[in-house]
Amino acid sequence: MKLRLSTGPHLLDRENTQTLMLDVLIALVPTTAAGIYLFGTKAAWVLAVAVVSAILCEYLFQKLTKRPVRVMDLSAVVTGLILGLNLPAEAPLWMPAIGSAIAIILVKELFGGIGHNFMNPALLARGVLLASWPARMSVYYIPARVLGVTEVVPAGTDVISAATPLIRPGGYQLYDLLLGNIPGTIGEVCKIAILIGFLYMLFVGTIKWHIPVLFVGTVAAMTWIMGGDPLRAVLSGGLLFGAVFMATDYVTNPMLKVGQVIFAIGCGILVGVIRMTKAYPEGVTYAILLMNILTPLIDRWTSRRVYGMVKKHA
Amino acid sequence: MNLSFKGGIHPLRELHEGKGKTSSLPIQDLVPEKVCIPVDMHIGAPSAPCVKKGDLVKMGQVIATPVGGIGIPVHASVSGEVISVGPRQMLGKAASTCIEIANDGKDEWAELYPLGSAESAPVDKIVQQVKDAGICGLGGACFPSHIKMMIPDGKSVDTIILNGAECETFLTADHRLMLEEPDRILKGLRVIMRAMNVFFGVVAIENNKPDAIKTMKEAAQGMEGVRVAVLKTKYPQGGEKQLIDAVTKRQVPSGGLPIDAKVVVFNVGTAAAIADAVIEGKPLISRITTVTGAVNTPCNLRIRIGTSFQAAIDAAGGCAEEPGKIFAGGSMTGLCISSTEVSLTKANNGIVVLNQKDAVKQQATPCIRCGRCIDACPSRLNPQYLNVLNEQADLVGMKKHNVMDCTVCGSCSYRCPAKIELSASFKEAKEKITARRV
Amino acid sequence: MHEKKLTMRGVFVNGIINENPIFRLVLGICPTLAATTSATNGLGMGLAASFVLLGSNIVISLLRNLIPDKVRIPAFIVVISTFVTIVQLLMQAFVPALYDALGLFIPLIVVNCIILARAEAFASRNSLLLSAADGLGMGMGFTIALIIIGSIRELLGSGTIFGTALFGASFEPMLLAVMAPGGFLILGLVLGIVNAITDRINARKGAKV
Repeated sequence: MKLRLSTGPHLLDRENTQTLMLDVLIALVPTTAAGIYLFGTKAAWVLAVAVVSAILCEYLFQKLTKRPVRVMDLSAVVTGLILGLNLPAEAPLWMPAIGSAIAIILVKELFGGIGHNFMNPALLARGVLLASWPARMSVYYIPARVLGVTEVVPAGTDVISAATPLIRPGGYQLYDLLLGNIPGTIGEVCKIAILIGFLYMLFVGTIKWHIPVLFVGTVAAMTWIMGGDPLRAVLSGGLLFGAVFMATDYVTNPMLKVGQVIFAIGCGILVGVIRMTKAYPEGVTYAILLMNILTPLIDRWTSRRVYGMVKKHA
Repeated sequence: MNLSFKGGIHPLRELHEGKGKTSSLPIQDLVPEKVCIPVDMHIGAPSAPCVKKGDLVKMGQVIATPVGGIGIPVHASVSGEVISVGPRQMLGKAASTCIEIANDGKDEWAELYPLGSAESAPVDKIVQQVKDAGICGLGGACFPSHIKMMIPDGKSVDTIILNGAECETFLTADHRLMLEEPDRILKGLRVIMRAMNVFFGVVAIENNKPDAIKTMKEAAQGMEGVRVAVLKTKYPQGGEKQLIDAVTKRQVPSGGLPIDAKVVVFNVGTAAAIADAVIEGKPLISRITTVTGAVNTPCNLRIRIGTSFQAAIDAAGGCAEEPGKIFAGGSMTGLCISSTEVSLTKANNGIVVLNQKDAVKQQATPCIRCGRCIDACPSRLNPQYLNVLNEQADLVGMKKHNVMDCTVCGSCSYRCPAKIELSASFKEAKEKITARRV
Repeated sequence: MHEKKLTMRGVFVNGIINENPIFRLVLGICPTLAATTSATNGLGMGLAASFVLLGSNIVISLLRNLIPDKVRIPAFIVVISTFVTIVQLLMQAFVPALYDALGLFIPLIVVNCIILARAEAFASRNSLLLSAADGLGMGMGFTIALIIIGSIRELLGSGTIFGTALFGASFEPMLLAVMAPGGFLILGLVLGIVNAITDRINARKGAKV
């Protein structure tokens, strides 16, 4: 009889990296479905190319560099899908492919693979695409179909491009903003779907509420102070998608709760500043990326009280 | 509102902490054919054997006398003939000196010297009686109890806590004891309170044992200064520091002892043993152990100290499957045994058998900084950062980041989705820091 | 210092490969990032810097026993800026387009640390011929590095190399490559690739020994 010896704990939680990633994917299902419904098959192709090329890039890179192949942890699928959801539905298919390659190879694998990327891979890839092909990335397309009953989009016409609702905030009904009958990227338009994903992740414990709520709250507060309409500022653009799915990336936000609060409020302030100075209509991407870079510093400067660091009871 | 502490985890929630199989089974007696009693069960210097091969001993007779300041004697747990005195491989240590006794089945007690009832026993003699009865902490640490009962100069104690949290997975020994013998426990508590001149006694129980809470509350009705505290079910609620935090809202200072928070904690089993020692004069020769996991008939056994693991597993119907791992204690901090021939000691509150499948080591993957370990750590450390320092073999940095306050409860390792062996590496680092005086 | 006797050929090759100023010493990064938006710019900057390097190395080597140690840095700078002025005037006269493209970065060659570093580390300690070989080698190494980076950036960012279109009209250039962040990214990637290749070569050499 051969008995294995080890130090406890002898039985571990069922949760592992793969199940965590799977939970994120499940949370992304409503958003993905809404995006495909609203923008049609073109959106499906963009998402598919993004996911498949992310998996391929990770597999090939790990094979070529003789590292353990970790495609099965599903993190590449999450990265690919989030990147795809960050693109306009009309993006040519080489864009998601290049984006995934940048996300996986440049940001993730070259820095040491999962857990070592210093920025959110999908977001930096979006940043690179945005800077490289601004004409393609900053044109927002009106969904081909609409959710619910609305008269905003002329029926029967082909896809029309339009400015982001951030530029003309008064132009849409609130329920259109909520349902996603507005121009935007595949994933960001349907706010209801994003909120369902958020609640799912909260429910199964994938993420905690602090970062998304404080991030969005800070943007709303800044908009209100500056005399804008906080509700519309929150429901327009990619703020909700970024706050729920990208700012909450474990690897690139601080470890301690106090650090996460600083991170979230920092993201919110940066978005507010970028939107206010009108240098750029959106700002969520760059705000999160900048805070990603500050994460190691925040981690360094925050600490919590260790048990027993108290005065002795005389 | 149930009492609790910050951090902690809910291990094996889907299996009800693994306790379901045995929590409703009454304690059964197991009388082995022979016992093999190590002389170094307690913390402190090993006791010196005072019997030799061929001697006839009675139950409760001293067979090894204490050495050094905190030593305690060892008693025969059965009556019969000493078969051998010599070194044996025991649990997770180098070979220990063991005294092997064949049970003659008569269970003849040696002469006993009771002190009187819980309320009448002379206060000044209690501590010595506890020492002579060979009582040490039955929760697992096996720290000699009489030492805890002596308050050092300049310190004071206002509360005695009896630990009935039993937060470890699989174990139901304390649960059954509280349910079946609440009076023994409470008498023990009164003895301790009187001996230490303390007016408040608290029996702390997790709320996953409502029957035990009810029983203990009923038994404690009308006892002056004694109350039952209900704790939230959470691991490591029964960790001494966490228990004190939950019950008194005080923290044991880093590097200090519970007495620095004016509290002394005893396991409920220890209190029962103290009651036996003072009221009946009986030394500690048996304890309750849960045998569960992949065995045919999981059970709660009252075993004699020195019974072999094999005898206990046989009493539970033997292994149900080819065992892959067997450990003494719960799944969070249990110690693995390499052979079932080793003996159960005063510290063993449970035996868990895992099948081959559950015993497989899970391959570690890279840390994804999810922060699960940080939320779990009851000592409020940063296991993620400690792991980074550990990978760099930076013992100085680890010490600076309070690794010495790690209680090796295993919460971080349990929660880690990357399956990194955090607490095991911290344990190693702590040992190195102590050994090298970093 | 190397025990091996320095030869002109050895010094020249050293500047291109073993101690390539960009890939091995990582010196002169500012002009590298600024002047590599196209292969032509890279070539122009490389040649201009090479000319200054060659000239200053020769002059400083000749004067090395005359310059007092305490004021050597100002003296080097005077020599270097003389050559930079010559280059600047020549370029303004004969290649005005390139002159405009490189703009401020031509006078900034004065403070290019490669040139000062070679003056300090090599020309002020070695003979005329060796210094000339060093200047030429370092200059070539710098030029080659700039052309490589410039070609990659031009190819990605404009779809051309030395102004010649390589892809069809449907190619959509990646603007980032010719912007500052793209410069950093591509420089980093090229450095990484060069390091990986060198490591492999060294490992092979090591295996043979």
